[in-house]
Amino acid sequence: MEKIILLIPSIPIVIAFILFFVRKKELIPKVSIMLSSMVVLLGLYGSYYVISNDTVIVGFDGLLIYNELSAILVPYVAILGLVIRKYATKYMWDEAGYRRFFILLNFIFSAIYLLVMSNNLIVLALAWQLLSISLYLLVSFNVGSNTAVKQARWVMFTHKGADLVFLFAIVLTYKTFGSFDLAILSEKWLEMSKTSVNDPMIFTIGLLFLIAAMMKSAIMPFHIWLPYTSEAPTPVSAVMHAGVVNVGGILLNKLAYLLLLTPLVLNIAFIVGLFTAILASLLMLVVSDIKRSLGYSTVGQMGYMIMEVGLGAFSLAIYHLIVHGIFKATLFLDSGSLIKLARHESNLPKRLTYELFWEEKIKNKSAKIFNYLALFTIIPVVVFVGIKMVLSEEFFQFNASIVILAFAWLTGTQLFLSFFKVSKSDSLKVLLALVSSFIIILFTYEFIGVTLEHFLYGYDALLFYQAATLNVSFMMSFIMLAIIMTIGWYFMYKQHYVVVSKNDTQANGLKWLFYSFLAKEGYFFRIIRIFKKGKV
Amino acid sequence: MISDIVLFILAAGVPYYIFLEKGTKFHGKYIFLLSAFLLLSAIVLSLFVENEHRTSLVWISFFSALFSIYKATKTTNFYKLGYYLIFVNAPFFILFEDAGAMYSLSLLVSLIGLYLIAKFYDKNYGSANYHNITGTTLVRPYIGTFLTFYLIALALYPPFPNSLFFLSHIFKSEPNLVWYIVVTTLFFGNFFLAMRVMRETLFGRPNPNIHYVHMNSKDKAIHFFIIMLLFILSGFGFKEMLL
Repeated sequence: MEKIILLIPSIPIVIAFILFFVRKKELIPKVSIMLSSMVVLLGLYGSYYVISNDTVIVGFDGLLIYNELSAILVPYVAILGLVIRKYATKYMWDEAGYRRFFILLNFIFSAIYLLVMSNNLIVLALAWQLLSISLYLLVSFNVGSNTAVKQARWVMFTHKGADLVFLFAIVLTYKTFGSFDLAILSEKWLEMSKTSVNDPMIFTIGLLFLIAAMMKSAIMPFHIWLPYTSEAPTPVSAVMHAGVVNVGGILLNKLAYLLLLTPLVLNIAFIVGLFTAILASLLMLVVSDIKRSLGYSTVGQMGYMIMEVGLGAFSLAIYHLIVHGIFKATLFLDSGSLIKLARHESNLPKRLTYELFWEEKIKNKSAKIFNYLALFTIIPVVVFVGIKMVLSEEFFQFNASIVILAFAWLTGTQLFLSFFKVSKSDSLKVLLALVSSFIIILFTYEFIGVTLEHFLYGYDALLFYQAATLNVSFMMSFIMLAIIMTIGWYFMYKQHYVVVSKNDTQANGLKWLFYSFLAKEGYFFRIIRIFKKGKV
Repeated sequence: MISDIVLFILAAGVPYYIFLEKGTKFHGKYIFLLSAFLLLSAIVLSLFVENEHRTSLVWISFFSALFSIYKATKTTNFYKLGYYLIFVNAPFFILFEDAGAMYSLSLLVSLIGLYLIAKFYDKNYGSANYHNITGTTLVRPYIGTFLTFYLIALALYPPFPNSLFFLSHIFKSEPNLVWYIVVTTLFFGNFFLAMRVMRETLFGRPNPNIHYVHMNSKDKAIHFFIIMLLFILSGFGFKEMLL
């Protein structure tokens, strides 16, 4: 009976096939939503079955599996899909190709389910490629727009590259380990991890899988496809930012035991993740286009996710991608509704955040900056250290999470401040809201992170932390946290309270250079243009 | 040795279209039909004749494929694109010996679909040239859908058999330098060519100077049949790859 759950990836394809023959336009979303609800129900039942019986469901000759990872991700993707379909019902009504949109949406969800539930590298490769082509057709949905088609080409080139790297990694895996079955491979890798392994081929395989994941998850330098997909319909943006980019993290989780054997790959993941997180967060603040800003925000978050993987916190990466997905999908869907509402009203409707925090106060003294700095730097750190001291040592099994949390919080608040301009206000409410957000994030991360870790990997989770040799000590994390937060807040307040001199003093050249570098997104397109003209 | 060379020529290992294109008698349509027939002969022959891949032949067909990719990027004619694609994929047939036959058969079926689209364009728009016949997806969804299917199959994406046989062979073979070069070239070559057609005729704003013609039921049924055939081949592809 429970094997029926393994049919989940095929349900969206059946829906797509049915939609092809539905004549009435208004029936298209209804059929799609009704049948997609079945996936949600099946997913929830599957999760209940896996959790309550403490077992996994395997079928189709071991090609598909509904395990702990699927138990978390399938209901999440299914519910997300349902919300997006419901949203698109009205949002896409006037667009040409209404039916095409729902059919493509079903294909992309099928690819995601297949990817999550695959227990075989070949099935994973098929899902990986299905995702690429579905994404291409969805991003270029507005086929009449040259910009949309051009942007879709960027998406496709990157994803095709990811596909090839992924295929090479699979070929080498089969040649080295003699199997495509992930369950068999994972056992083999776990067994091998007990002895010292120093095989360059394993490193190559790990690196190829990491590169493939980086390309799909828009990690720098393969990030450019994500911020430049603003022409895609809003529901597609929501799918991309909440679903598609996460597949890199899902892949690395499926190959967690392989990465045990190659700590160097984990270290590389940490470094590229760190680099992406910092640079994308900076770019997010500098770019003028709101959708691109959101795109860079996602790139930054994916950077954190890869960082977490690099630190051996695989389960935390899963938690991160779910939380980020919900947050980003909400933002995108909300932005779409807002635009639609704004077309009917002369003024934008007031947002809750606006009403809560917006109080324009002109009396801002530069001396206050340091008070704020102290407040924002010291309070969270004191709170954190206090918790650390009060609670037992086992509560924080990975000190590195402090750094990740600090980064995440910093970006979140920066995004918040940038969007709603609350930094101009010196309201105490803003301060309390931001500090409390940090505490909430801290607790949810720790509680759910640890619970998830036990659920997904049990005691094996400790092996991952041991393998990630770049583990950050508490002192190092503490110092980094303080430095990063201070710098972040200094820049934030400087940006808003800086006194612009009217004298003809020369601007700081280095600062301008840095700003110009960020504003032009690392001169990426200029370089491309030069190459196109054949000047280099 | 002789059988290898015969198969090599039949499977489009050398760009013999260069000579045919120079003649005035051979229209693109006939070159396509000839190359497709020869490829089919190679597929049938490979079932009876022992085929052993020789690196020198793989290299020749590889350079021929590169040249054909270049030629394909310069054309906007469906017929020409059709036979260029046969030459582009020849190294695969030669490199993977008998196993390449199923891949070539899938290629041939997809190209028959493309050929019928070319015939449709030829009949209704005066030639098989797709230049300036933009936005087909928007104005003629059926043609758009069929063409999208064929192009996705040619671009080596699942669930179409071209991709499945391609993956199946590369997973089961022993990689070496020639292997990496051929696989990478075909993987990207087919993709670029298919995407180019998508961009130029499926996408874009519909051209107001063109009267877009509907596909009749008979044509729809034929294309539907070809797509079903592709899916049947996909079934074999899945079987070969997963079981």
